[in-house]
Amino acid sequence: MIATTHLVSPEEVMAFVDGELSSAEAATVSAHIAECAECASMAAQFRETSESVARWTVPAVPESLDASVAQLIAKAGNENPTSKPIRSILFGGRHWTVAQLGTIAAVLLLFTAGLTMHYSSPTARLSDRAQSVDRNGLFVEPRNSAGDSVSRPQAAPLPSPAMQSMSGIEADRLVQLPPGVVAGNLSESRSRAQQAATKGSGLPNAFANQGASQPTPMIAHSVSLTVQVRDLGASRAALDALLSRHRGYAAQLTVNTAEGLPRSLQGSLRVPDGELAAAIAEMRALGRVEMETQSGEEVTQQHADLVARLENARETEQRLRELLAQRTGKIDEVLQVEEEIDRVRGEIEQMEAEQKILEHRVDFATVELRLAEQYREQLGAPSASVSVQIGNAFVAGLRHGENTLVGVLLFVEEAGPTALIWLAILAVPGILLWRRYRRMLNQR
Amino acid sequence: MKDLKPADKATQADGTPAGIDGRSEQRESDEQLMLAFAAGQSDAFTALFNRYKQPLFGFFRRRLADPAQAEELTQETFIAILRSAPQYQPSALFRTFLYAIALRILRAHRRKAAFRATFLGERPVGHEPASHCDPVIDLFMREAMAQLQNSDREVLLLREFEQLSYSEIAEVLSLPLNTVRSRLFRARSALHELLGAPAATRTHNAPVTEVRA
Repeated sequence: MIATTHLVSPEEVMAFVDGELSSAEAATVSAHIAECAECASMAAQFRETSESVARWTVPAVPESLDASVAQLIAKAGNENPTSKPIRSILFGGRHWTVAQLGTIAAVLLLFTAGLTMHYSSPTARLSDRAQSVDRNGLFVEPRNSAGDSVSRPQAAPLPSPAMQSMSGIEADRLVQLPPGVVAGNLSESRSRAQQAATKGSGLPNAFANQGASQPTPMIAHSVSLTVQVRDLGASRAALDALLSRHRGYAAQLTVNTAEGLPRSLQGSLRVPDGELAAAIAEMRALGRVEMETQSGEEVTQQHADLVARLENARETEQRLRELLAQRTGKIDEVLQVEEEIDRVRGEIEQMEAEQKILEHRVDFATVELRLAEQYREQLGAPSASVSVQIGNAFVAGLRHGENTLVGVLLFVEEAGPTALIWLAILAVPGILLWRRYRRMLNQR
Repeated sequence: MKDLKPADKATQADGTPAGIDGRSEQRESDEQLMLAFAAGQSDAFTALFNRYKQPLFGFFRRRLADPAQAEELTQETFIAILRSAPQYQPSALFRTFLYAIALRILRAHRRKAAFRATFLGERPVGHEPASHCDPVIDLFMREAMAQLQNSDREVLLLREFEQLSYSEIAEVLSLPLNTVRSRLFRARSALHELLGAPAATRTHNAPVTEVRA
C-alpha cells in the first residue's frame, strides 16, 4: 500500500496535512503531492479520516459543573493562593506514596538494627574504663586492654587490729585458728566445751552441746542497700573509714568510673554481726537510700545438726584408730580399716569447713552495697583525645558495617529458602490478580 | 497564528458556539490569565475556566464511558490547577500544562477503578446511550478507539480532539517527537482501515451489530 520509493515518506505527508512541517519542507512535499497521485490520495485520506473523526462530538458541559467550580474559585480567592501547608512541601502532595512510606520504614528499620547492633557489640564499650580495687584500697588498672569491667573477688584476710579487738570483745568465743585454715575465714567454735570435748577425751557430748547452744539463736543476716551519693570519691573514703571502724572488710568491691556514665561502686561487704545496725545506719547516711532489703536466715538447727554429725564422725574415727592400735589382723583387714579412717577423716574436714563457713556467716553479716553517683557531665578535658575518639569511631563504624553485611548475608541464607517457598505459593494468585488488573485497566 | 487556530477549531469541534467565549476580541493569552490568577485575580481563573471547560469535558467524556465521572474528573482537574497555580511557570504553555494534569488525573482514576474492579469485583460502568449526538457515531467511535493500541490511541486523541501540535503531544506524554509522529501515523492508518467499511455508508441507519463484528 505504501511505496517506499517516493521522495517523501508517508509520515511527512501526514505532517504536511497537519501543518507540522517547516515552510521549506512543506514546499517539497506540496510539490511532490502535485506530481504523485498516490501521495495525493494519501493526503486526502488523512484529511478524510480527520473529518470523519471530528463527527464524534460530546454534549455541552452540565450546568452543575459551572456552579461547583464557581464556588471553588470564590473559595480559592478568599484564601491566599501562595500559602502552602508544610506537609505538602515536605511530602509533595496530599497522599504519601508507597515509595515515601517505604523509605521511612527502611530508615526506621536500619535505625533499630543499628541500635541493636550497637548495644550487643563489645566494641561499643571501648571507651568504658572500669577500675578494680585491690585489697589495700588502691585503684588498679584492669588487666585486659579492652577495658572490660573487671571485678576481682578477694580472699581478704582480716587486718590484724580488727582481729585483736574482736577477740577482746568476744573473749568467750576466742579460739586459736588451727594451722592450715584458709585465711579470711574467721573460724571459731560455738563453745569451749565442745572444743574441749573434741580435742580431749573424745566423749560424746553432742546433746550437751545442743543444749548449751540452744538459748542463743544463730542468725545469718544479709542486707542489700542502694544509695545515691553526691560525690563518689568522698563516699568511698567514708566507706573505708566506716569499715575499719566497725572491723568489717570488703569481700569484693568494684568501682566503675566509665566515661559518660554515672560513677558507681558495688561491693559485697562483711560486717561483724554486732556492729551491723550501727554500720548500716552510717551507710544510709552516705546519701539518699534508694533501696534497702534486710533478711535473716535462722541457721541454729543447721548448725546443731552439723555439730552433732561432726561429733559422731570424730567418735568413729577415734574408735577406728583404737581398733587399729589394739587389734592385729590380716594385711587386707588392716588396709580396709585404714581406708575407712581416711574416708571418715575426709568427712570430718568437710564438715569442719562447712561449720566454719556457717559460723562466719553468722558472725559476719553480708552487706551488698551499691553506691551510685548522680551523673554530672564533665567539663574537663576528656581522657581520650579527639583523634583517638575519631579513630575509634571509624574502627567501630567499619566493624558495624561488616557486622551488618554479615547479618544481611546470614539473614538471606536463613530466611531465603522460606521466602522462596512463600513467593512460589503467593505468586499464583498474585499473577492472576495482576492480569485481572491489567485487563481492567485497559477496559474503557 | 498557529496558536490561535487549534483553539478555535477545538471549540467548533465540540459544538460550542464561538460566541460563548466573549473575550475573543480582546483576548488575553492563557498564560497571562494564569499568572494574573496566581497574583490574586480570581476572575482570571473564571475566564480560563470558561475557555477550557468544554474542551476538558470533551477530553474526559471521550475517554470515559460514564458521563458523571467525566464531569467529576473535569472538576478535579480544575481544582488541581487552582491548587498548583502558585507553581505555574509561564515557560510551559497553559494548554500542555492543563492536559498533562488531566492525563495524570485520568490515569489515577483508571488505576483506582481497575484496582476496585480487580479486588472488589466491580465491573466498570457500562456505556450509556448518548443523547447529544448520533448514538451510532458515538458507539462506533468508542469501539474503533478501543481497537487501537493503548500507546497509539492517546496520541491520536490528543491530536484529533484536543488539537495539540506534535511538540505539545510530545511534552504532555513525555515522548520524543519522532515517536509521536510514528505513533500518530500508525494510529491513523489503523483508524482508516477501521473506518473504511462504514465510511462509504456513513448513514444513521447503519446497524450497530455490523460495526461490532
